[in-house]
Amino acid sequence: MSKSDLKISRWLDAHFDRSANLNTLPRNAILSNVAGDGENRLIIVDLKLERDTRCRLKVYKGTLVAADTVLPDVPSSIISFYHDRLNPRTPVVGVGCVNDLLMFKNNKPFFKYSLPGLPVLPAEYDTWKSIDKNAGIDVRAVVERLKGISFHSLSSRSQQLLNLPPSKQEEFILSYLNNEPMRINLITCMTTLKKSSQDTYSIACPIIGTEAGIIYVLDPQNFSILLQANVCNIKNTPYIITATGLYDVDYKILVATRENQVCLLKRGWVEGKGIIQTTGTIVEILVVPGDNLIVIATTDKMLHSYTKKGQKLWSIEMTFPITCLCVVALKHLNAYLIAVGLKGGLIQLYQGRRPVDYITVPDTPSCITFGQMGQEEHVMVIITFGGAIIFKILKRTADFNLSHQDTSMPLLNYNKSLPLPKRSKLFLEQSMREREDPAAMHRNFQQDLIRLRLLTAKEIAQNLNYQTGNTNERKQIKLSAQVMGLGPKFTVILSLENMNSDTPITEMSVVFHVKREIYHLSSYIFKIPMIPPTLSYKIKTSVHELTSNEIIEPTKVVLLDAKQRVLRVFVMKKDLNIPVLAATINMPSTELAF
Amino acid sequence: MGLLQKLSLLIGSVRKKEVNVIVVGLNNSGKSTVINHFKNDDEKVSEIVPTVGFSVERFQSQNLAITAFDMSGHGRYRNLWEHYYKDCHGIIFVIDSSDRLRLVVVKEELDLMLQHPDICTRRLPLLFFANKMDCKDSLSSVKIAAALGLDKIMDKPWHISASNAVTGEGLQEGVEWLTQQIRELLMKN
Repeated sequence: MSKSDLKISRWLDAHFDRSANLNTLPRNAILSNVAGDGENRLIIVDLKLERDTRCRLKVYKGTLVAADTVLPDVPSSIISFYHDRLNPRTPVVGVGCVNDLLMFKNNKPFFKYSLPGLPVLPAEYDTWKSIDKNAGIDVRAVVERLKGISFHSLSSRSQQLLNLPPSKQEEFILSYLNNEPMRINLITCMTTLKKSSQDTYSIACPIIGTEAGIIYVLDPQNFSILLQANVCNIKNTPYIITATGLYDVDYKILVATRENQVCLLKRGWVEGKGIIQTTGTIVEILVVPGDNLIVIATTDKMLHSYTKKGQKLWSIEMTFPITCLCVVALKHLNAYLIAVGLKGGLIQLYQGRRPVDYITVPDTPSCITFGQMGQEEHVMVIITFGGAIIFKILKRTADFNLSHQDTSMPLLNYNKSLPLPKRSKLFLEQSMREREDPAAMHRNFQQDLIRLRLLTAKEIAQNLNYQTGNTNERKQIKLSAQVMGLGPKFTVILSLENMNSDTPITEMSVVFHVKREIYHLSSYIFKIPMIPPTLSYKIKTSVHELTSNEIIEPTKVVLLDAKQRVLRVFVMKKDLNIPVLAATINMPSTELAF
Repeated sequence: MGLLQKLSLLIGSVRKKEVNVIVVGLNNSGKSTVINHFKNDDEKVSEIVPTVGFSVERFQSQNLAITAFDMSGHGRYRNLWEHYYKDCHGIIFVIDSSDRLRLVVVKEELDLMLQHPDICTRRLPLLFFANKMDCKDSLSSVKIAAALGLDKIMDKPWHISASNAVTGEGLQEGVEWLTQQIRELLMKN
């Protein structure tokens, strides 16, 4: 992030209205071409849950509220879809309210579809049916029979009856007596699924998830039920639903449930299958179109990614709790980013698991949506918990430094198994032997390993000894010797040359080592002055051979010849106890004739 | 005014000069409609469609033959604008004054243009049309000038006029200013 800290933001602040006083939840704001003029409007469900307030459906044209409709009840979700092929193409906005799908066209109520009621329990049904209107109503007996049934499985009318004071109960029963007892099928979530074409203007089916765990796919033209399916084989309450694909071809419906499960419903199935179980409660679920990834945000600050089959790919822990997610589709960059709204007002943009950008807003975002708004293609609308509405426009020049390789790499590696070679005959034999005598094999191996380590240590020690200091002095000095004379007096001229091109040789000395019985030297130790680079220094020493006949007999002289007639030269450096260079000079034998 | 200058003006008015003007602005701001107004009656188009890439139009104003490069304002074509900066003598910037949301985008594009090396060093006259003045929620030309920070443009002559490209209101006044400026510029050189 350090790079983006320094540079200018990629987003333009188009509009910021702190006093909009909006109260929304994720997925409660959509961008849709409601007027049919090609300019998308923002449609927001404004939840007002206090007494004497009504929820509203607000339509923003640009930064101004163009329409404001009062809703009859608390809405659960909002969708927008094309339901006909009439020109000009105008989509309907569907709002899920209790058990009704309220549809608005051109900001006016257009159609209402009510979901069929659910049958009540037989015991409750019998209780209501046993009440005879003409005979006197035994209110207490009815209440007692209803109390015998679990409160949660009762229909809302029975629940209401049990909560009424006894004086009002009879009147209540009478008012409901003619109606068939039914349980209300509460809408919890909705989405849309294109019917036969992925085209922007193609008609789409509304999909409804209900409190009872049933999913309905409706026909967009005559609003009949095309498909009814259960979310899962066990009781699961859907609360976020997303769909991909085409109804007539193939589709997948993903349902996040309150039981922290994600269920998959495919074409041809009448019952969904749980594919993902999360530890924390699911905040939001997205399907990233490009990579076909499922991204789930949970309440424990985690952002998880799964393949469409439910295999986990990665998880990132956020610094703050996640409040909302949004897909940022950048078609001109061929990229899909995920905007993650965090508590405190930070919105991070991820490409895969790599953060690419961030936006800060003054308050915790409650709902983010991205898409075309008005004439502008890349608008991000952020609604905060404080009720503010923020419009941000992506700059034309923003490219996010996206690299497409980065995101696909971990995915590919994950899916492919490691390339293992086939088991060879050698491998099988080896493994057989290992099974027969593992203890001995281990011992042998350890022995060899220790030997190897010892050998390595020895080599290192030797190398260190050869190389004194940080540079190898041996390589810098060239030593040559010249022996002059016929004997018994010789002159040895040593020449020391500094081979190095830039560092002088200092503090050197040359030591001669001889057998004192054979040779006498004028001087045994020489201090060498500094030798500048590429220059040489010559030392002269006279050697006297003690070849008097009185000491050594001629036969012995012959014996001495090879090994004794040597002069050892050591080039020493000050403060070092090993020679930098050593050489042996073979002395010629003295011509006895002289 | 000296005799020579008068003479040159006379010659200038007799011999038509060819000047290039680039017309820029966001998509749906009314650039093609503005240009359409200046065309001869027989060349006028009844229905304006979104421009793809750019189109070249020629018209005359005060004996000055103007070649207008009507650029597409769509996001993906805006990077073409800069290729025409070099040879232009004046810039017409059309703004949709009813689109409050995109005023920041207009400012961004204007800033990008003014920072361009082919523009920033030259004393090009800038003409702004605060178009769609008839729309009920449109901003006044003064507000637009303030929002775009036009007062900070010191090194270039600029002029903003509220316009309605459909009826032609305000267009003539603006283009007259622009031709006057271009004429002065040409005389100096």
